[in-house]
Amino acid sequence: MFSEFILILYSLEAALAPAATDITKNPIYTFKASEDGSIYCLISTDTLIISASNGTISAWKWSDVLSRAGKVLWTITIPKRRPFFTPEVNSIYINSKADMASHLFAGCGDNNIYVYDIETGQEVHCLQGHTDYVHAVTKKNDNECVSASEDGTVRIWDYRTAGESTLVLQPYKHEICGGGPRMSAWYLRSLTMSATFDTPGACQQFIMFNEDTVISAGTEAFVNHWYMNGDCKSRVPCTPTSVFSVAINRESENNRVLCVAGSSATIDVCTNFGYKAFGLSFTMPD
Amino acid sequence: MSSKDVPLDKEKKRKRTLKAESLQNGSGDGKLAETKRIKPEPGLKQESGVSLFYAEEEEVDERDPEKDVEQFKAACANIKHAILDIRQLKENKASQMTDDIERKRVEATLQFIALKKLNRLAHIRCKKVRDSTNEAKLRIDKYHLQLQNLLYEVMHLEKEITKCLEFKSKDEEIELVSLDQFYSKAPAEISKPEVTQHDQHQQTLARLDWELEQRKQLASRLKVSQESKTNVEEDIRIKQEYLENLQPKLNTILQATKPVQEYLGMPFDEIREQHQTAGYLPPPLFVLYKQATAYREACDNLLTVTLDGDLDAARLVDLSVPLLDEDSESDQEEQEKKASKRRRKTVDAKLSDKKHRVLKKHPLSVVIQVGCEDESALQLTFSYLMYLHIVTVTIKVRQSSEMGTSSVSGGDLLSEDTLLDELYPGDHGDTTPNPTNQYQLTRSGLKDFNHYIPQVGQPYRWAQWICGLQYLGEGVPQKPQEIISCGSLQGTIRKIRQRFKARISLLQQLSALERHTVAVAGEYQSLFPVKLQSQVVIWQRSTFEDFVAAPYTRSIVEAGLAKDNDMFFIAVIERGTAKLTARIVVAPDYPNVAPIFSVLVQWQSERCSANDSHIKNLEEELNVHYEELVQEKSCDYLLTNQMQRLIMCFDVYLETGENSAKEGPSEFSREKVFSRTTRGRQRAKPYKYCAELGIFTHR
Repeated sequence: MFSEFILILYSLEAALAPAATDITKNPIYTFKASEDGSIYCLISTDTLIISASNGTISAWKWSDVLSRAGKVLWTITIPKRRPFFTPEVNSIYINSKADMASHLFAGCGDNNIYVYDIETGQEVHCLQGHTDYVHAVTKKNDNECVSASEDGTVRIWDYRTAGESTLVLQPYKHEICGGGPRMSAWYLRSLTMSATFDTPGACQQFIMFNEDTVISAGTEAFVNHWYMNGDCKSRVPCTPTSVFSVAINRESENNRVLCVAGSSATIDVCTNFGYKAFGLSFTMPD
Repeated sequence: MSSKDVPLDKEKKRKRTLKAESLQNGSGDGKLAETKRIKPEPGLKQESGVSLFYAEEEEVDERDPEKDVEQFKAACANIKHAILDIRQLKENKASQMTDDIERKRVEATLQFIALKKLNRLAHIRCKKVRDSTNEAKLRIDKYHLQLQNLLYEVMHLEKEITKCLEFKSKDEEIELVSLDQFYSKAPAEISKPEVTQHDQHQQTLARLDWELEQRKQLASRLKVSQESKTNVEEDIRIKQEYLENLQPKLNTILQATKPVQEYLGMPFDEIREQHQTAGYLPPPLFVLYKQATAYREACDNLLTVTLDGDLDAARLVDLSVPLLDEDSESDQEEQEKKASKRRRKTVDAKLSDKKHRVLKKHPLSVVIQVGCEDESALQLTFSYLMYLHIVTVTIKVRQSSEMGTSSVSGGDLLSEDTLLDELYPGDHGDTTPNPTNQYQLTRSGLKDFNHYIPQVGQPYRWAQWICGLQYLGEGVPQKPQEIISCGSLQGTIRKIRQRFKARISLLQQLSALERHTVAVAGEYQSLFPVKLQSQVVIWQRSTFEDFVAAPYTRSIVEAGLAKDNDMFFIAVIERGTAKLTARIVVAPDYPNVAPIFSVLVQWQSERCSANDSHIKNLEEELNVHYEELVQEKSCDYLLTNQMQRLIMCFDVYLETGENSAKEGPSEFSREKVFSRTTRGRQRAKPYKYCAELGIFTHR
């Protein structure tokens, strides 16, 4: 696992079918996704799978992958600013709208956010300002994007220009008692904190909105579901002791499931978000 | 005479006449005279009266019997007439009747004379005919006799002919060379084709001659051959004697060379004796001996192969004879079990006797000593269990003097029953590799095989392989096959040596760790920074149960990475107030199977891989990336290197630990150079040491 750096494709449809067996939960296709370094993030568009690892972003065509021909469509290499330092890509986000040029945001280990034009593969802007590496990047609206960094700040950028960030949030200044910063929700309009989500002893690494709740997970074997006001709705145990990613399949109403991936050889699948239904186990290709 | 006859005849005539006259004169006389006179009338008037008697016989010849018959009839008729006339006359009583009667009477009487004569003649004639008949009869007899003789002669001759026809010549029994061959081979003076081509007899004779000639030749050749044979035999005898005399001489020479051999260290004699002894080895051990010797000669001079055991006993062992007559004995046993308690003692004795026989070893064993570069050596004694058809091994370790290290935690590292455990995966040497053994033992009323291992040695699977044994399915004991032995011997010896070296090395490492020093070998120094702050404070042996009981080892136990035959250790590393406890699984096949570490850090709180991803990464560094810690040839120092890396990573873990400003200065000063302390969403720590730059980076 550590030396292979592979992507594995499972069929949720087959695994969720009434006649599902252990065999249908096996990987349907496995391909090598990185020459060097773990894969940190993965997104999917209508046509592409884009993964990012140590210093490189690679893309595959869904159609190629589904026909078991994992040929890299293109690769973007993050420029090296220092010797012996390969900036990792911690988060990528794709802003794909039919009437606009598609932009790819990459939050990197060298404190910068790079904006690439997908069509040309050229760097459009480099958003600089964070003082430590970037954890996550996402879009606010058509013109702005948001990034979170190890330096304890959230910055909102106008990515059309390569200038300083437009706004800076500093959650750590709102600390009430000791310990690390907690997960919190902010009103963007007023830039004030509205609610905090308290998880003692665990650092939340992944957050997402789902309808009227917030789902988060981190360095413990639980997936947390929150109400917007900061009250905990439920804590669902899961297999990985450290959760890296949670995803909900919104494509099909029948197979609307929550998948949890982390430091484990199994991806948990929760059919009703309340408990773990089964695991898609990772078997090493022979 | 005739002159005389004539007067006689005249006289006769005269007499007759006289007589007739006189007869006519007298009455009675007259009649007689008359017949006399009449009689000669028919022709015999010339005959004299003297020869008359004899003449009648001749007369008969001259007269015709037919006429005599007519004369007789006529005379009879005359008499009849006369009688009839007389009667007539008498009746008529005529005048002259008396005269006529008289006359007539005379006439009739005369006729009687004629009748008399005729009667006489008839008699004579009858006699004559009888004589002639006899004569003829005699003649016929004579002829008949002659005929008989002739017939006899004919028969005899016929017999002779048959005899002749049935005669077989001796030459027919002799097989002759074929005709073509005869003419082609035989010289012309013998074959004489111009004569023999047409004459069958001559041909045969010639062929016989040729046969004789050839036989003579062959006989002479036989004689020559026999002579040469005798000569050769004589030669052989002489040479034999010479050779027999040579043996003691050679022995003497060999005896004389012994000091030289010893001096030069070339034990030819011993080798030869061993090879002779090897002839008495059971087949599997023979295969082993042969292959091991060959392997030693070819590529491993640190290996010694010797034979051990009682040669005389081995001579008496007959492998083909079954050792137990199982059925009858078990039946007997059953019966005895049912019998009274008094006999229990004998049953026990019997059982132990049987156990002894079932587990009987062949008296000879092969001893292979696997030496290492230093003095230490591993001595493997291979024995063959004759009844169970398996090979067992007993191990003896000989340590070199300089390697006098001992270790408390690794005391059993070189123990005989675990040293070669899992040489091949799953091969613990505690069950018999021959599936039939279980049944054999049960049938003999014995316990499982592993109860007897201390007595007989361990039946490792590789031991069967290198002896050429393979048990397939329902294991009829296979004949040892050289190819199996040949295929696995080299690898097995290599593995054994590797294992032995690894264990010795491990022992040294454990010994060092017990003294709380992590002695990194020179070639590995570059993998670690020179200065490390953490210290090993405890190193001790643990147990499987203890390991399982620890909460933070659950994932390893669940993954089946810890087994009860593994060795378990606990290491405690301290730096300041932080304490790291590592539980270590060392597989028997160390270092081919890397030790596995399970880590608990006690610093401010208890952290393990389940609740701290950094510790998970730390364990990853040890358990997954251990390959970086071994160089090509020797992976002997793997455990030490892993320990050193553990210490290094613990340093990194502590030095990069998150500190909030509120708690004041960190307990652990940063002494190492990091490119970045954290990376990625996980805030991974830079555990990887980059030796060229002396800095720590992320993997």
